[in-house]
Amino acid sequence: MRHTRVSMKPSSHPVDALLRVVGVTKTFAEVTALADVSVDFHAGEVVGLVGGNGAGKTTLLRLLCGLYRPTDGIVHGHVGEKRVEIHQMREHVGVVPEATGLYARLTAWENIRYHSRLNGIDDDMAWTRTERFAKLLNFDEDLHRSTRGFSRGMRQKTALLRAMAHGPRILLLDEPTGGLDVTSARMVRKLVRKLGDEGGTVIYSTHNLAEAQQVCDRIIIIHNGTLRADGTPSSLMKKTETDSLEEAYVALTEDVSRTGETEVEGRFSRAWRRLMTRGGEPDE
Amino acid sequence: MSDIRLRIGRVLEVARKELIDFVRDWRTMLAMILVPIMIFPVIFIALPLFLQSEQAEIAEHQLIVEIQIDEEVPTGLSEHLEGRNLIFSEVELVEQGTLSNNTLDAQRLKSGVEEDTLHAILRLRQTDSNASESWDYAILSDSTSELSREAKARTLEGVLAWEADVINTTLAENNLSRDEAFDPIHWDGDQNAADLASTGEKAAMGLAMFIPLVVALWTATAAIQPAIDLTAGERERGTLEALLCTPVARADLLFGKWLAVATVASVSVLGQMGGLLFAIAFLAGDAFGVPSITTTGVVLLLLSVLLFAVFVVAIELAVAVRAHSVKEAGSILGPMILLFIGPTLFAQFVNLQGIENWWFAMPVFNVTLAMREAIMGIHDPIHIVLWVTTSLSYAIVAVWWASKQFNREDLVESLS
Repeated sequence: MRHTRVSMKPSSHPVDALLRVVGVTKTFAEVTALADVSVDFHAGEVVGLVGGNGAGKTTLLRLLCGLYRPTDGIVHGHVGEKRVEIHQMREHVGVVPEATGLYARLTAWENIRYHSRLNGIDDDMAWTRTERFAKLLNFDEDLHRSTRGFSRGMRQKTALLRAMAHGPRILLLDEPTGGLDVTSARMVRKLVRKLGDEGGTVIYSTHNLAEAQQVCDRIIIIHNGTLRADGTPSSLMKKTETDSLEEAYVALTEDVSRTGETEVEGRFSRAWRRLMTRGGEPDE
Repeated sequence: MSDIRLRIGRVLEVARKELIDFVRDWRTMLAMILVPIMIFPVIFIALPLFLQSEQAEIAEHQLIVEIQIDEEVPTGLSEHLEGRNLIFSEVELVEQGTLSNNTLDAQRLKSGVEEDTLHAILRLRQTDSNASESWDYAILSDSTSELSREAKARTLEGVLAWEADVINTTLAENNLSRDEAFDPIHWDGDQNAADLASTGEKAAMGLAMFIPLVVALWTATAAIQPAIDLTAGERERGTLEALLCTPVARADLLFGKWLAVATVASVSVLGQMGGLLFAIAFLAGDAFGVPSITTTGVVLLLLSVLLFAVFVVAIELAVAVRAHSVKEAGSILGPMILLFIGPTLFAQFVNLQGIENWWFAMPVFNVTLAMREAIMGIHDPIHIVLWVTTSLSYAIVAVWWASKQFNREDLVESLS
């Protein structure tokens, strides 16, 4: 098994890093979802988290937005010169989870406004930002429609606008183009690239290598819970002496992918579910 | 200070959004608001009307009764039977043994009932006695048939009316009145007039046995659906993950949700109580009397209902948070209602006279007994302090436990 680590150490100038992940391990019961991962995220970068199913991308994103606490290691951020805990960064972070998580009985704008109010942003400011980005996504006509019956693309656009309405410094996107049609996916990619060009920081999880190469300044490859590579698409190809990002990815992740869920239930939850399902899972 | 204001603002925003969500769901509005308000008025109006129409329908039926007798039907009896919409025919009594023995006529009566040609059989046999008349009798009928049951009831009424005539005649022959013979020691005047309790107080006492059960049952039931929807439901639909990524503390999110569910559950149960009081006061006041409850009693009743709702909702939220899916939450919360209803039922039989103070410190019992005391106008300061403080304490502990559950890391994962 060949592991080529292009760069694994956090930046030597940590204050520049908006988010720092230092020696983080995350385990769920007996499964290690992430093992000793260290990585920095800087202002103005569009970073692609690339990896197969169950590689640990979502776990890393959830650690970055404070949904998970590391089993070992530290995740923290910087606001100016000040080092802050990750949960104190939340108002600077916008998140689009894989399940868009929209309320069906609210309109798209009401969904967005609810989150922006919780982020402490007044409605006028949130509306100004939402309207601007909605036009870019060709979605401004649909803002006052109920989200019930929205297509996957419309839901994704709403979730994206919701994540951006409070003007976050960092956007965390979990598979933002998954399940989208070509046009919608293209619009999302264009918006992400525009945000990056305007100085925003976007951390973007995907298993679409072509998309990552097209959108991202920097690519982090995660495989079986470990960080395998971190660099620009061209540097990854150069280091692995390959002609495409896909070949570089294959070279960096030659060992067999682990199977099954990485995030298993706790003992209590398992017992609870067994009780509820009278006897547990068929494969147990 | 501004931090507290910010947090309160966020809690209220969460509650506001959840309430909007409830209001826009017509099923929730129907189940949580309209049905509870309307259920008792509808029952008090519709049920008597329905029973009356059913009674009238059955009273219109002319029923056929066969009288088995060795001689002529006594005039007194036939007069009483004729007035009861019965057609009767006379046949000779064949049964030689006990008149209730149905062996001889069972099959014939059964098929008669089925074909609507015979509904009951009255057997009569004269016996020797010192009375003016003396008879043995039995009425054969099929209790599983409504018409046969009705035929028996009408025949029995006629027989008993005839019997009363016979008794009166026998007593008169011996220079006695019915009261002298059967009620030699009798109450003078109106028994109700001798009761110090007013009609309103007596109605309130009856209500005190009823209201706590309604409150316990409905609060526990009403809170289940929204508690599940706002926790396991959000988890299943994937809306919780995005919400947990906002800067709102999880405890504040929980408080907002709890406030919304407690509001809906309280409105629901207060609506139901309002409907019940309206039904009793305006629709069934003649039958039950309008309950008289003091203003203090009403205030204490409302307070106890609210505290109960706060407590129940917090527990249900905490349990629902632990579930991975709506189905799982429903399967555990459904049977859990018994935890609230059981003590409430038990508390109905606790004597309030000389009740020990510790009853007012026990969860569920305290609020149930508080409701009974409030309705019955018993305002014991020690009891009030005890149930208010303990209820609040239990509610706070329940909310704290719920917020602990809401801090669980696996909250963003669902089985779907």
